[in-house]
Amino acid sequence: MKNLFNALVIVLFAVLGLTLIWVILELQPPTHVHLSKQVLTQLDASGVTHPVTAVLLNFRGYDTLLEVMVLLLALLGVLAQIGKREQRNLSAWFRLSQPYLQVLLWLVRMIVPLMVLVAGYLLWVGGHQPGGAFQAGAVLAAAGVLLNLSGVLPSWAEPAWNLRTGLVFGLLVFLLVAAAVMVVASPGLLLQYPPASAGMLILLIEMGLTLSLGLILAGLFLFLSGDAIEDEAEK
Amino acid sequence: MFDPIPWLILLPLAWGCLAFLAGVGRGGRLAFAGLIIQLALTIVLARQIAMEGARHYAVGGWGAPLGIDLYVDGLTGVMLLLIHVVTLPLVVYARAYFSCQAEGVGYFWPLTLFLLAAMNALFMSADIFNIYVTLELLSLAAVGLVAAAGSAGPIAAAVRYLLVTLLGSGAYLMGVALLYGTYGSVSLTVLGPLLAATEISAAVFLAAMLMLTGLLLKTALFPFHFWLPPAHGSAPAPVSALLSALVIKASFYLILRLWFDLFAPLVTIPVAQLLGGLGAAAILWGSVLAFMQVRLKMLVAYSTVAQIGYLFLLFPLMMLPIPEAAESALQGGMMQLVAHALAKAAMFAAAGVMVLSAGKDDIALLSGMSSHLPLTLFAFALAGVTLMGLPPSGGFIAKWLLISSAVNGGQWGWVAVMILGGLLSAAYVFKVLCQAFLPPVAGVKFKPVRRVLEWPAFLLALISLLLGFRSGEILSLLGGG
Repeated sequence: MKNLFNALVIVLFAVLGLTLIWVILELQPPTHVHLSKQVLTQLDASGVTHPVTAVLLNFRGYDTLLEVMVLLLALLGVLAQIGKREQRNLSAWFRLSQPYLQVLLWLVRMIVPLMVLVAGYLLWVGGHQPGGAFQAGAVLAAAGVLLNLSGVLPSWAEPAWNLRTGLVFGLLVFLLVAAAVMVVASPGLLLQYPPASAGMLILLIEMGLTLSLGLILAGLFLFLSGDAIEDEAEK
Repeated sequence: MFDPIPWLILLPLAWGCLAFLAGVGRGGRLAFAGLIIQLALTIVLARQIAMEGARHYAVGGWGAPLGIDLYVDGLTGVMLLLIHVVTLPLVVYARAYFSCQAEGVGYFWPLTLFLLAAMNALFMSADIFNIYVTLELLSLAAVGLVAAAGSAGPIAAAVRYLLVTLLGSGAYLMGVALLYGTYGSVSLTVLGPLLAATEISAAVFLAAMLMLTGLLLKTALFPFHFWLPPAHGSAPAPVSALLSALVIKASFYLILRLWFDLFAPLVTIPVAQLLGGLGAAAILWGSVLAFMQVRLKMLVAYSTVAQIGYLFLLFPLMMLPIPEAAESALQGGMMQLVAHALAKAAMFAAAGVMVLSAGKDDIALLSGMSSHLPLTLFAFALAGVTLMGLPPSGGFIAKWLLISSAVNGGQWGWVAVMILGGLLSAAYVFKVLCQAFLPPVAGVKFKPVRRVLEWPAFLLALISLLLGFRSGEILSLLGGG
């Protein structure tokens, strides 16, 4: 019975997959709406010169506002799992006592400051070239993971107020900018930046987001990594 | 003119962030204050819709297709009012509940506030990609709430729920991608006329199928209901109430919107009949399984599976060629949605109190509950009246409208299913009541519960009962948009 069910599911999804491939091969380029042209004509009013950043933070900034909340929610789901479990980490001195890890440690200490620099560059360059808060945040998070794996940074337990502040800081900046714009510049209109200050506001939002996204993405790893190391130690 | 639309999105997001900042188990007072403000905003918005009709709102001022459009009409107004009216008593309930049982609280408050933000955004959105984002927000908040209980059972249920809901979102997103690939836009206002005017390609057909299937999975329509009872039955009672009353209604709302708006050119009678048939199967199968449960919260959860079925009967009935029959089908479906949300929130809240007091979730332990918690049992029974569809409850108006629509169109099969469903729901409600009215078993001690735990369930049940007297206003708001 179970085999039959599995076979049925496999056949169903195979048919779906093949149909999708066929349909996508048949797809004609859309002739009704030309979004890329509209993006380019409105680019001057967006405050940035890179079309992707313009779409993400201005034309469809509302989606981005909700997306960063999705990331925070994913972290809340992770936090529900750490519960009251005891957090134990392999402490740094244990790592340091392993001679072969010296190379790793040396490398990490060289690379991490560079990664922070790269994150700052990606944030700044997002206005006119590929880059922005998400990329910069991802690099910061990777730096955090690297530090954790090499034993320099301990895994995180239930976050205290300072870590929680960092996690929601960028989200609150985004909300505050949205509310301030709505009260001061364009009453009753959500996320309608005045063109003159749009670039500055977008940079402000992205700076906050870089920090918080970096912490959130790192948290997805660091809140759970303590247990994984604990399991290894028990073995 | 003051516009509540942007504030209904920004405020709950801000409350959610602030509640997280406050820490584990904190934020209940904030949620209460925030919800009162939001309820006031919703009432302002509903009045605006009733006076001036439906309207679009361009986020960022760009307008579709470049920017994202929001759209509010009578249906949006009803849904927004409903979620706030249901959540406000549940907030009071949850504060009292978690003060008796602190271990399940976790980040309940931020998650609940984000859940509200997601629903507000979802109901107002007129952009299929933006809808996907709100669906993600909604699902992750809901999964987080189920998982917050922390013990193994709820976590297993939460993971299963997560996988199902991700599969549903994935199917929906694939449909969005196909529509975007075909027409080059994700705005409902742009896509609607295009779909009506052009020849429907295979890609669009597949997109419609994927999006509807994904949403059916999230709505837990039979046979996609398998994930619902464990997720709703094992979560803490305030969470079960929120999920069963509201969250599944959000994906149903999207099915309704897409069916009558975007995919209206694709809809055929056999597909509508299929949805109605699945709804009928859900009514019968869910009710029978509800009757067979030994755990109280599982019984209530299976009752949700059954009650969702009624909502889907409106699809075949709306296809009837008689305009009055189609109109009363839509009204009946919406009344069912509203009445079930109120009654199910009341029922889960009442069940939670009884489980707390008995110490264990087992219907056999309820003997003597009638003298120990009369108000809670009364609330449970009142909610049962709505589910059975007895007058003067909102459930009665709903089932009356649906049945009269089916009779009008000569669809006797649906009539039989609805009457049988009403009898079966009476059976499972009376199963609980009979047990509770038995004399208490010697030696069994009920724990005392705080009074404030009992009133929210009673209030919700009372609203669902009195809804029958005020159904005119709801239906006129619906028609106004």
